[in-house]
Amino acid sequence: MADLRLDDSVMTTRLDSVVNWARKNSLWPLPFGTACCAIEFMSMMSSRYDFSRFGAEALRFSPRQSDMLLVLGTVTNKQAPVLRQIYAQMAEPKWVVAVGVCASSGGMYRTYATLQGIDRVVPVDVYVPGCPPRPETMIYGVMQLQEQISRESLSSRKEHIERFYQSLARQEERQRASGQSGYQTVREMVLEAGEQGEQQIW
Amino acid sequence: MVIERIEAQLPGVVLDRHDFRGDETVVVAGDRFLEVVDFIFGEGFQMLLDVTAVDREDREPRFDVVYHFLNLTSQDRLRIKVPVAEGCAVPSLVSRFKSADWSEREVFDLFGIPFEGHPNLSRLLMWEDFPGHPLRKDYPLDGGDRFCSQDIGASFAPEARSLNI
Amino acid sequence: MTPAFSPFLPVLLLLLIALGVGAAILVVSGRILPGLMKPNNPQPAKLTPYECGVPPLQGGARHRYSVKFYLVAMLFILFDVEAAFLLPWAVQYKTHLWTFWAMVSFLATLLVGYVYAWGKGALDWER
Repeated sequence: MADLRLDDSVMTTRLDSVVNWARKNSLWPLPFGTACCAIEFMSMMSSRYDFSRFGAEALRFSPRQSDMLLVLGTVTNKQAPVLRQIYAQMAEPKWVVAVGVCASSGGMYRTYATLQGIDRVVPVDVYVPGCPPRPETMIYGVMQLQEQISRESLSSRKEHIERFYQSLARQEERQRASGQSGYQTVREMVLEAGEQGEQQIW
Repeated sequence: MVIERIEAQLPGVVLDRHDFRGDETVVVAGDRFLEVVDFIFGEGFQMLLDVTAVDREDREPRFDVVYHFLNLTSQDRLRIKVPVAEGCAVPSLVSRFKSADWSEREVFDLFGIPFEGHPNLSRLLMWEDFPGHPLRKDYPLDGGDRFCSQDIGASFAPEARSLNI
Repeated sequence: MTPAFSPFLPVLLLLLIALGVGAAILVVSGRILPGLMKPNNPQPAKLTPYECGVPPLQGGARHRYSVKFYLVAMLFILFDVEAAFLLPWAVQYKTHLWTFWAMVSFLATLLVGYVYAWGKGALDWER
């Protein structure tokens, strides 16, 4: 249980830890599986590595019904606005785990077609390296996420989610103004952020 | 062999040929290409395996569109190369081979070679308003993204915990 | 003078208590606890229809689709109603000779319709 601090009311802290305990032990994943990491995810879900002992047996392929977005595999530049839309449609509380090097940084694909890390377009909580990561590595990554969740405070606003929605509004504004497709708009936003030394568009 | 039969039936159509241990290749001009295709279809080469292209930067004409045909009965393969300059079109094989549909769209998307007579010549792999043709030799590999070649690292790197505990 | 229904007063009391406790549970779990714990961040993007992340269907949902779906549904309704009529008949068709043959004539009429639909290609899903 969390420490009691004199400047917090005892009730709020207890509520935080109870709620966080409930959330971290029932993380329902949305497997955004695009490539080989999804296969390792499948083996993680099966009985040998058994991801369901973390409360995550309920895979929900809908953003409305899940709380953890697991991005498993390479995300191309054409897929980037799709990923943003899926993340935008998820209800809070929500977390993102970038599984594999392709999702974390673009992996071995340093090309025009591959998004160099999904943290350019969506906020990420945990990065799991590997090509593909072993199931134990992915489980460790989710356990890190659980520790992060247990340290969260209910009353603090999630700044990065707010910034994401602002960037989504900027993207839509830009799309409307220029008449380009979402793909080209996001690509231009990523390139411009790169020019200014920023790594992310949110 | 089939190259000799092509030369016998359609004299003057083969601009160049290459044959090494069963790897038969002919180079044919674009305006006589359909005649050759119809002839080899009659000879049994009724399966179009692939349509692709090569960008030879410093040569005129710039591109070589490469077709691979397979003869299902004799298991012979034939490669036909059609040199085409930038901006010029090649006749489409969609009316003859259904597999040419998306293969030609892919070549158009990645090289910018238009195909005359294609029912839906739009981009296939890249998005509709992607600027440029990526597989041309003068298109940069990273597409203008400087982070492709630089190792910047993850955005949350300062807050990321090390795994070496 | 006590009213005639006085033995049922406890029942009324129990009903009111049950309704009250039920309402209290709903209010606490639906309003008060979520008010304390729920992250409240309404965004217009969250209300957009889910179409696997791609831009929504152009022209709305008024797409044209094949008539074969309508045909199958219609034929299903007809023959399902026929089957529904067969069920009560099946328990008492032995009462009279006439009972049996009445249903046979009904089925014969529908059989003509079935053969017509078959011959016209309404059951041919592929085309």
